Amino acid sequence: MELIGNLALGFGVALSPMTLLYCLIGVTAGTLIGVLPGIGPIATVGMLLPITFHLPPVQAIIMLAGIYYGAMYGGSTTAILLKLPGTAASAVACIEGYPMAQQGRAGPALVMTTLASFFGACVAIIIVGAFAPPLAQFALEFGSPEFFSLMLVGLIAAAVLAHGSLLKGLAMAVLGLILGMVGQDVSTGFPRFTFGLGELYEGVKFVIVVVGLFGLAEIVHNIGLGDKREIYAKKVPLRELIPLRRDLRVSFWPMVRGTGIGAVIGILPGAGPAISAFASYAVEKRIAKDPSEFGKGSMAGLVAPEAANNSTAQTAFIPTLTLGVPGDATTAIILGAMLIHGIVPGPKIVTEAPELFWGLIASFWIGNLMLLVLNLPFIGLWVRLLSIPYQILFPSILLFVCIGVFSLNNEPADVIMAAAFGIIGYVFLKLGCEAAPLLLGLILGPMVEENLRRSLQLSRGDPMIFLTRPISLTFLIAGVFLILLVVVPALRKPRKDPTIAAGSKES
Amino acid sequence: MTNRSNWAMLAAAAVAGWLAAGSASAYPTKPITLIVPFPPGGSTDIVGRIIAEGLSKELGQSVVVDNRGGAGGTVGTTAVAKAAPDGYTLGIGSTSSHAVGPATLPKVAYNAVKDFAPISLVGETPYVLAVSPKVTAKTVAELIALAKSKPGQLNYGSAGAGSTTHLAGAMFAAAAGLKMEHIAYKGNGPATKALMSGEVELLMGSMPAVLSQIKGGTIRALAVGTVKRSPALPDVPTMREAGVAGYEASLWLGLVAPAGVPQAVVTRLNQAVHKVVSDPEVAKRLQATGTEPRINTPAEFAKQVQDDLAKYTKIAKDIGAGGS
Repeated sequence: MELIGNLALGFGVALSPMTLLYCLIGVTAGTLIGVLPGIGPIATVGMLLPITFHLPPVQAIIMLAGIYYGAMYGGSTTAILLKLPGTAASAVACIEGYPMAQQGRAGPALVMTTLASFFGACVAIIIVGAFAPPLAQFALEFGSPEFFSLMLVGLIAAAVLAHGSLLKGLAMAVLGLILGMVGQDVSTGFPRFTFGLGELYEGVKFVIVVVGLFGLAEIVHNIGLGDKREIYAKKVPLRELIPLRRDLRVSFWPMVRGTGIGAVIGILPGAGPAISAFASYAVEKRIAKDPSEFGKGSMAGLVAPEAANNSTAQTAFIPTLTLGVPGDATTAIILGAMLIHGIVPGPKIVTEAPELFWGLIASFWIGNLMLLVLNLPFIGLWVRLLSIPYQILFPSILLFVCIGVFSLNNEPADVIMAAAFGIIGYVFLKLGCEAAPLLLGLILGPMVEENLRRSLQLSRGDPMIFLTRPISLTFLIAGVFLILLVVVPALRKPRKDPTIAAGSKES
Repeated sequence: MTNRSNWAMLAAAAVAGWLAAGSASAYPTKPITLIVPFPPGGSTDIVGRIIAEGLSKELGQSVVVDNRGGAGGTVGTTAVAKAAPDGYTLGIGSTSSHAVGPATLPKVAYNAVKDFAPISLVGETPYVLAVSPKVTAKTVAELIALAKSKPGQLNYGSAGAGSTTHLAGAMFAAAAGLKMEHIAYKGNGPATKALMSGEVELLMGSMPAVLSQIKGGTIRALAVGTVKRSPALPDVPTMREAGVAGYEASLWLGLVAPAGVPQAVVTRLNQAVHKVVSDPEVAKRLQATGTEPRINTPAEFAKQVQDDLAKYTKIAKDIGAGGS
């Protein structure tokens, strides 16, 4: 009952006309920067920060938060249509969404991702509102050994779930791990594989790799197709925007699972929406009745990660608000904005600033509703993008990619790196090596290493630290179970059908 | 020196002064770029944007923030050092970019002292000695006693190996004669979380990163590293008050220009910064993030850079931090 009273207070704050306006500005800006490839919410929130100095605190925070979760909606649009992820978290949408667009089902794909986004966010908002303080406690119990074990299970999943050419899958995953080693070593501060370039000290940026391997490589590939490529463009049936009833049916449980996974990962500071998207994709593929659909436009593989990254974007506010520890770089800026306005995030925020806390929660829901209304009518327009002649479309895409990548850090070297990954990605495409295991290695590798070394440092070299802590032990048991699950049947019969695997060996 | 060369120098100085004065009366005639050598959203960026906004009003030209993050602030700072010394490219210099970075990174493409014209300090952020709730020590003396009773067993966290908080922690250990294990995290957020959960016992944190947790009571502050107590935490003693002699360190942020900017531009900017930072509204905003407004003269600022560079280079050598 208390929750309802609190929500009433929250909606009272969030429904005032000015607050609604700032919420609308935030989510609109978020959708736009989400659509533009490379330009992420971090830079946008950072740049809008000074404007908020002159706003009342609640409205300022509501606007900045709107940009953050709004970007999760827009990010999948170009991923589906052009295989060009708008944000790091929407990279997974390329894998299943782009094949759907090629089959002329871009409309249903976009509608379903928008619905999945809305669903994931709404459920997560309820979790934030009802359970924020106890969940924050859970986040604190997640130390370095727990992170290591969780990420290790992720890597095991990546390896054992590979179908078909296990060799290619593993090779790509290892390549990802190697790329992940570039940059300053967390434990010692020594630069590794930076070749003396300051630009590489912070490692190879995930967004750059994703934009290169997926988006730019696809452009090269499409140009190589010549006249054959025109066929997709003409095949877009504008009437068929509406998802079939079957789409809704097969999407429901994946959305629920994705939301759950995303909610848990959002609570853990430092993990972020990209990991939650990959994790839920892996789960869907594992439990799918017909895994061969994956990589060829599986609806479950599209909507689950989409629900997951939106769910993460909302629950990431739990550690930010109740612990004062940001979940990722964007929430860190929002935290900074709160401090400037004299709001001290922490365990007492719920009691000391109830209008802000509940107002924010209510605004999340209103913002997501606005996003739904904003995004659905645009889908027809986005799909029409595909009918633009390719000789006009691809230079425009290249231009946006360059601007987006440059704006990450105002760094010309980043643009050159994206181009290099574009060429590498084209080679992979020709060799039939899928990029997904590489991406998973690139995200998980550094976290596995960092937490392994830190855990062993904390235990002064005793590996028992991973087995004596219950949460960590649970994950390790799950990892062993995963290996058995694959190894036992594999011993009985040989790996089957290498041909399906091409699109589906990521995690 | 001959009479004639004296005259020549005087004349040259006069001409230079006149030229500088001429250009200064007009300066600035176009927008100014302020390079913040950290990504958007960090404490340096927030301070940079607060100052940029104030300077825009004060100078009548827009001051545009250009974030060039990377390598502990040294990538963006290199860009400042290499920019044309015309007063239209400025940078936010800090303990990271002008002392700790050059002290710990193997290859830094600038000389923190020679390649810059310091304008003025903008703010100072104390390091706060904070302990986890699992630590029973209520004072610095009790903490030191605890650490001495368990040599090598206590962990101090940091925001990264070779980062400011690492060196600050190492300096505390050295000043108090303690043997502790350094545990590096990826940034201030994870380090603070580790302190809250008790994974590490103590952290020499930067004020903006730990202030909200201290106020929320999830970690405890035992001392601040500055000479004077911090208005943000008035009840917390300084290291000296707490009995640790020889520990004096804070993170500073200031405005720098590339070496060789006309003296008149330095003077104009110094005045402008002083006016901006003295504005109570600006001061309030800086304080909210845990940064104390500070101003000084270009000469004082230059001396501070020199002293800190020497201090951090020494401690980095002692502990073998980073690639140095």
